[in-house]
Amino acid sequence: MRLNISKNWIALLLAVSVGLPGVLADGYFLQSVTMVLFFAYLACSWNLMCGYVGQISFGHSVFCGIGGYVSVLLLTNVGLSPWIGMLVGGVAAAILAVIIGYPTMRLRGPYFALTTIAVAEVIRIWVENTDSAFGIQIKGAEGLSVPLLGTNWSMFQFDSQIPYYYIMLGLLIIVVLMTWMMERSRLGACLKAIRGDRDAAESLGINPARYTLIAFAASAFMTAMAGSFYAQFIRFINPERNMGIELSIDMALMSIIGGQGTVAGPVIGALFLAPVSELTRVYLGSSLPGLHLVIYGLVLIVAVLYLPKGLLHPLRKLLHRMIGRRALGDGVRVKAVALSGLPGTAQGERDE
Amino acid sequence: MNDTLLEVRGISKRFGGVQAVKGLSFDLRRGEILGLLGPNGAGKTTAFNMIAGYVKPDEGNIRLGVMDITALSPWNVCKAGLARTFQLSKPFGGMSARENLIVGNLVKHNDRRRSADRADELLDFLGMQDLADVDAENLTAFERRKLELGRALSTDPTLLLMDEVVAGATPQEAMVMVELIKRIRSSGVTVLIIEHVMKVIMGLSDRVIVMHLGRLMADGLPSDVVKQPNVLKAYFGDDYVDAGV
Amino acid sequence: MDWYSLTYAGLNGLLTGAVFGGIALGLSLIFGVLRIINFAHGSFLMLAMYTSFWLQKFSGADPYLSTLVAAPLMFCLGYFVQAVIIGPLIRRESALVVEPVSALLLTAGVYILIDNLALMVFGPNVRTSASVLSSSSLMIGGFPLSTPRVIAATASLVMAICASVWLAHTDMGRAIRATAQNRDAAAMSGIDVPHIYNLTFGLGCAMVGVMGCLIAPFVPVTPNVGLGFGIKSFIVVVLGGIGSISGSLVGGVVIGLFESLASQFVASSLASIFSLLLFILILLLRPQGLMGKK
Repeated sequence: MRLNISKNWIALLLAVSVGLPGVLADGYFLQSVTMVLFFAYLACSWNLMCGYVGQISFGHSVFCGIGGYVSVLLLTNVGLSPWIGMLVGGVAAAILAVIIGYPTMRLRGPYFALTTIAVAEVIRIWVENTDSAFGIQIKGAEGLSVPLLGTNWSMFQFDSQIPYYYIMLGLLIIVVLMTWMMERSRLGACLKAIRGDRDAAESLGINPARYTLIAFAASAFMTAMAGSFYAQFIRFINPERNMGIELSIDMALMSIIGGQGTVAGPVIGALFLAPVSELTRVYLGSSLPGLHLVIYGLVLIVAVLYLPKGLLHPLRKLLHRMIGRRALGDGVRVKAVALSGLPGTAQGERDE
Repeated sequence: MNDTLLEVRGISKRFGGVQAVKGLSFDLRRGEILGLLGPNGAGKTTAFNMIAGYVKPDEGNIRLGVMDITALSPWNVCKAGLARTFQLSKPFGGMSARENLIVGNLVKHNDRRRSADRADELLDFLGMQDLADVDAENLTAFERRKLELGRALSTDPTLLLMDEVVAGATPQEAMVMVELIKRIRSSGVTVLIIEHVMKVIMGLSDRVIVMHLGRLMADGLPSDVVKQPNVLKAYFGDDYVDAGV
Repeated sequence: MDWYSLTYAGLNGLLTGAVFGGIALGLSLIFGVLRIINFAHGSFLMLAMYTSFWLQKFSGADPYLSTLVAAPLMFCLGYFVQAVIIGPLIRRESALVVEPVSALLLTAGVYILIDNLALMVFGPNVRTSASVLSSSSLMIGGFPLSTPRVIAATASLVMAICASVWLAHTDMGRAIRATAQNRDAAAMSGIDVPHIYNLTFGLGCAMVGVMGCLIAPFVPVTPNVGLGFGIKSFIVVVLGGIGSISGSLVGGVVIGLFESLASQFVASSLASIFSLLLFILILLLRPQGLMGKK
């Protein structure tokens, strides 16, 4: 019975998301929704490492920026299709992640967070103040534009909003699937063990550095792809918006508030916060700038104090009461409602 | 065929101004239960951590079977076939008891079905079948001890290092532990155990070694070692021994 | 590169560094006692600077005078933030329910809140406070040094000395140091630990409030000017050693000199990269800082 409900939820979600453009029609609103998906994707990518390992990174936007810059520079200088540029950017980001991660993995939580900020800022400030390097135009704070090509599938550009929406949706589904698979894999078990107790994990044959770096590289790769998407979607990138602290914090926030270390947590966090951001910015942006961030700040404070495991936890309890405990199975672990259901997980429950 | 499983030769460790362990050497034969005794500060835990790979010896070497494990990291020591428990239980919070038992085996074999079956076996062995899905953080202290033991066993080790498993346990619980350890030995695992509770270690060990101020002081059968004057002096002081008790 | 420019850069670096050190004093104190990284440190600096600006706008008061208003104001705000927002987290942490990074997240939330409230209320425009002394300069050893900078640097030094003396010789200071060393022992000795925490946070914010007013004459204020100074303060504190008052000044001076001299060779906006890199290096190689104990 449990599996059926899970499958039904997933089917419903998919149906709604696939059919949405039909209902909304092309235009500005669809673009907003695509941005919400964009943030959900970023939150999930952040979560791949930070949520599961438990090391908070406040510098992840640097990977996003690298993805964008690499794919745009490859496009404008070499004419390489952004579809491939995206992958190149991803690899570049993954390499950077390993370089940063190797010496810093050992740092305790807050220090690691500060280090990620420092690294991201170093790169951002360098880009911001560099007009050209190695003969390539980087244009510093001015940013880079993607030339308008009209609808061109091989060059990742479309006049209509609709293809962008589906591409972002596809990317989101991929990252969610990746997280789901990782959770059940050896990598996922190792990360959770490392997070649970590092010494004990080592005693079981787990090399913390190795698994953490794998997760870090994967997370960086996925985050970078979002940067390339953004570049093709908005057709403009600059250091402040794509590599700045604000983006880093947004990503981290959504994942944390939704429930880090879970499959659906980041998505929920983004679905909750990103629309708030979009709405306040669109309707109140000129009269009350920064309002959406005030709300973010408040939500973060409340979440840290009262919902340390994220929104997912109370949401689950709510659905328990609505649908019935048996139907949802394993109650002690914090898991996605729609995405639970591995055969073998026990039916029993024990109160906390 | 050499039946010495663990060979420790002349290991030493200094922390700042304190010589925690000096020139410790002993053998551990396959299939035996060796008790490691000594008053507080004798260096038992340091020696333990050196064998398990958490602390690097300043000198000396350690051999497990044919492999030199002296400078190996804890995870490589585990791969060589050594498992350990911690004095202060370290369960994986946020994971159920069953998941705690799956991890070690999964790392070794990467076969979830196999690891899940092994985990269920271990849950039965520990008598914790009903606690399979309980979050490890919600277990009682004794249940955690047992889980710790089970988790070490999940990697299918040839040598099990145990650091004080009955501290704080009731007599009933201690008996359960002793039974478990005996059964572990019967299944072919060699055991090295640090323990303070005399009754447990005397009844359980085939042989004991005693450490004092970082050095090995005695090595032999429990009944013999416990009568040696230098051992009594270490635990109870000169006056006790000189009084001729 | 002539000797004169280099020495001039060095002197300015010394002054700027002392100011950085002064700003970081509050952070060092809070970190040393509460063991939390106050991500919102720069936000209090920003608020003090705005206080200075608005006071001048409405009453024409010189920014230096606004110190008398800003310091108590920041103290109260800091006390409030600690008592109402951060306190509950620390109380819970003793029950080992919360991960250590939560305090960072919480103060990050406070930073986001304060900076963007400021943006909403004050608007994004750059504001400057002008003091009668803003454009004057002192001739020291043949070098013209901007008076407000000299004053700010000197004040940092004075504040550091006063703080050290106060912590060492007053009952309250001793209580704070005791709490910093061992929270539980302090509690058992009859110290009201939550109150000490509130007080310390308030004091830290008051100190940064003073600095805010002192730099207002030569630093323009925007709602997000705080973060840069906040990050700089983290660097200074890590470099100088956590909880060390003198370390804060030493760390600040090192950073100030470093950046000032670096600016002679690269664009000044790039100079901050060097302190960030130094920060990363210190964290990896000598985490206890230059003056801290392991």
